[in-house]
Amino acid sequence: MGLSLTVFYFRIMKYLKSIFCFFLIVLTILACSKDSEDEIDQVPQFDRSSILENYADNIIIPRYNDFKSELDKLKIAVDDFTQSPNTSNFDQLHEKWLSAYKKWQYVEMFNIAKAEEIMYFNTINTYPVDEIRIKENINSQKNDLSNSNDWSCQGLSGVDYMLHGFGISKDEIIQKYKDDSNYGDYLENLLAIMTSNTADIIQDWSTYRNTFVQSSGNSNTSSLNILTNDFIYYFEKGLRTNKVAIPVGYFSGGNILPEKIEAYYSSKNSFEEVSKDLAKEALIASENLFVGKSSNGSTGASLKTYLDYLHSNDVSKENLSPIIINNFQKANDALDQLNENFIDQINTDKSKMLNTFDKLQAIVVNLKTDMLSLLSIQVDYIDADGD
Amino acid sequence: MGIISSYLSKRHESTSLAFFRLGFGLLMTYSIIRFWLKGWIQTMYIDPSFHFTFYGFEWVTPLGNYTYLLFFICGLSAFFVAIGYRYYMSIIIFFLSFTYIELMDKTTYLNHYYFVSILSFLMIFLPSNSSYSVDSYLQKKSFKYTPKWCVDSIKLLLFIVYFYSGLAKINKDWLFEAQPLKIWLTTGSYDFPLIGSNLMQQEWFHYFMSWGGMFYDLLIPFLLISTRTRVFGFLLVIFFHLFTVLLFPIGMFPYIMIMSSLIFFSSKTHKKILDFILKPFIDKIKSIREMKIINIQKERISLIVVSVFFIIQFLFPFRYSLYPGELFWNEQGYRFSWRVMLMEKKGYTTFKVVNKENDNSFYIMNNSFLTEFQERQMSFQPDFIIEYAHFLGTYYKNLGLNDIEIYADSYVALNGRISKRFIDPKIDLLKQKRGFKNKDWIIPLDEKINNL
Repeated sequence: MGLSLTVFYFRIMKYLKSIFCFFLIVLTILACSKDSEDEIDQVPQFDRSSILENYADNIIIPRYNDFKSELDKLKIAVDDFTQSPNTSNFDQLHEKWLSAYKKWQYVEMFNIAKAEEIMYFNTINTYPVDEIRIKENINSQKNDLSNSNDWSCQGLSGVDYMLHGFGISKDEIIQKYKDDSNYGDYLENLLAIMTSNTADIIQDWSTYRNTFVQSSGNSNTSSLNILTNDFIYYFEKGLRTNKVAIPVGYFSGGNILPEKIEAYYSSKNSFEEVSKDLAKEALIASENLFVGKSSNGSTGASLKTYLDYLHSNDVSKENLSPIIINNFQKANDALDQLNENFIDQINTDKSKMLNTFDKLQAIVVNLKTDMLSLLSIQVDYIDADGD
Repeated sequence: MGIISSYLSKRHESTSLAFFRLGFGLLMTYSIIRFWLKGWIQTMYIDPSFHFTFYGFEWVTPLGNYTYLLFFICGLSAFFVAIGYRYYMSIIIFFLSFTYIELMDKTTYLNHYYFVSILSFLMIFLPSNSSYSVDSYLQKKSFKYTPKWCVDSIKLLLFIVYFYSGLAKINKDWLFEAQPLKIWLTTGSYDFPLIGSNLMQQEWFHYFMSWGGMFYDLLIPFLLISTRTRVFGFLLVIFFHLFTVLLFPIGMFPYIMIMSSLIFFSSKTHKKILDFILKPFIDKIKSIREMKIINIQKERISLIVVSVFFIIQFLFPFRYSLYPGELFWNEQGYRFSWRVMLMEKKGYTTFKVVNKENDNSFYIMNNSFLTEFQERQMSFQPDFIIEYAHFLGTYYKNLGLNDIEIYADSYVALNGRISKRFIDPKIDLLKQKRGFKNKDWIIPLDEKINNL
């Protein structure tokens, strides 16, 4: 019995060996036929560097330049105001502050390279600000704000407090600047830090651009992986959490915290209600990055076109990109429903704010599960083995 | 009965076990050193404030800074196993310390760690120090033969690993959608000599690799067993595992499998390799008096333990069939079953705490309690979700919130499907128990993937 089994076994083995040889031969032939390119159906690999090129040349660098030129205007307005603190200069300054703040929403998400190194976004848009510390800094004429405790004392959120936080009327505030030149000096210093940091980043991108575009692989340190992770981090934290979730009390037991909205003092002291506009800009900026839309309205290779490519190659059953775009639309509609004044909205009817949160959350789910899955990008940089 | 007793009396040159002992021991020593040097002891076992445990093994926790000592003991015992010094004590210590390490946090679970654990358990019952070992040198005697069943038991374990991972590939996604390979190969960035990157984009190639992978796993043990196909089989083993090294961050597994597959070769081959590697010590080895066959003490007990061990190994991977619902979605009975590389699965899970005393609710920022690695694993695995929910429950009760409920807002995307809600958002997870009972608070996937 044992013998016949053995014979049977060897026959099977002989057969299996032929199957394997066949497979191996087929593979080799197909692999070698790579050169005769027009004979086999060509499915070129999606060129990740095309996304990187579009992002760098048509979005990131131009958006930094836009922001820089608004900052330069803001700086002039600050100079004018500190030299002669009067109502018209104040109005001018307020207006330039708002335009710079809007342009800022288009660059906050690019926490890469130099920006990451100098903690750029923390130094420009950390809120709520630390009122007590700012006052101390002003009085002690402190210029070096590199300590991380000073993040909440500078940047555009810092300018918000400097412009709108010392009183409920323009006259009251203008008087401060007239009485004590330390106020003007501090404001000047905030602008000096922002403009010099922004110039550094733009300078860095002129050389970093090629490194960025060439790193077109799919590893934890490749450009698209880093950028995508930064984008999602921004969308979840900078946009969803900071602008909406925290003020409406999502993480604080339902206790509303309207004083934690972006550009709080401008709304609080009734200068101009801008928080909603800033949130809307941030949402547009996020969608623009996703669809690869530049500031002049043209579109190019992007995460969206990558997803479309994957769908057309049957990697995903259902196309994800229209779902995401539709969810962006819903989030935008939800934002439109909100009062211009977020403080009032939160105090009177927080359900609309929570509704906005839900719509943003749906996008976070799309980005973090569906999109990262299809692009096989890990959501973190954990260095570990798989199996 | 006659067949069994005549089989049990068969013998095999002791060089095979000695070779395997040396290879396994050295690879394990290297694995531990590698893990240490990568800083993973710190990031995976010491830094996290919370650890996901295996049900029933909640008492196995990291030991603070003594965790380094544990790894040192584990690595040292692996080295002693390699050289065959106080072999039985060393392999027992290795088995215990390695298994303890793997039980500390299931976030790091990998099939190949499980393989190492059970293989080292099996090796406790095999006289692998019979020759080419420090033990035999110190005792001034070595043995030419060991029982054949000892070598065969290692082969049988390898058979199970390969064959079962082949069986696991017989499912709808793998064979008929070529998932998840389609995602991984299309979006990976590969540029190999000869085949380039274009091949990876071809749909037929995704299917080819899926079906080829299945046949490979199912057939490779047979190819290795037969003398006539062995060399061919082994070349395939090398080709296949090195290919996975190029494609995926797969750690030590390929090397462990390549080394282990060498056990199928003849004892002559093993002797040649040993004589080559141990050339500097060859005079000492030759000086040892060689006895015929080793008498394993209490061989009968060893045989019973090993038999029970294999019965469990054969049955355990099928435990999933005791649960209703889709295995790949619910993951009930998924681990310890040689299911590797079957899923591209990502989740997003947040938790709402409802304070029943004032009906206020708030959400948890997971990064306050979990590392990114832990959060990633937690987000799509139900047993992680329930354990974490219970941890949060205890945490907030200790803060004085006595009457709370915890709900999960959870979405999961699997193998290219659009994400779906994963956990019933109306279920208070604090009222659900951990354990092996069916988790009916998972929202089922309305699709069948795993049909076997």
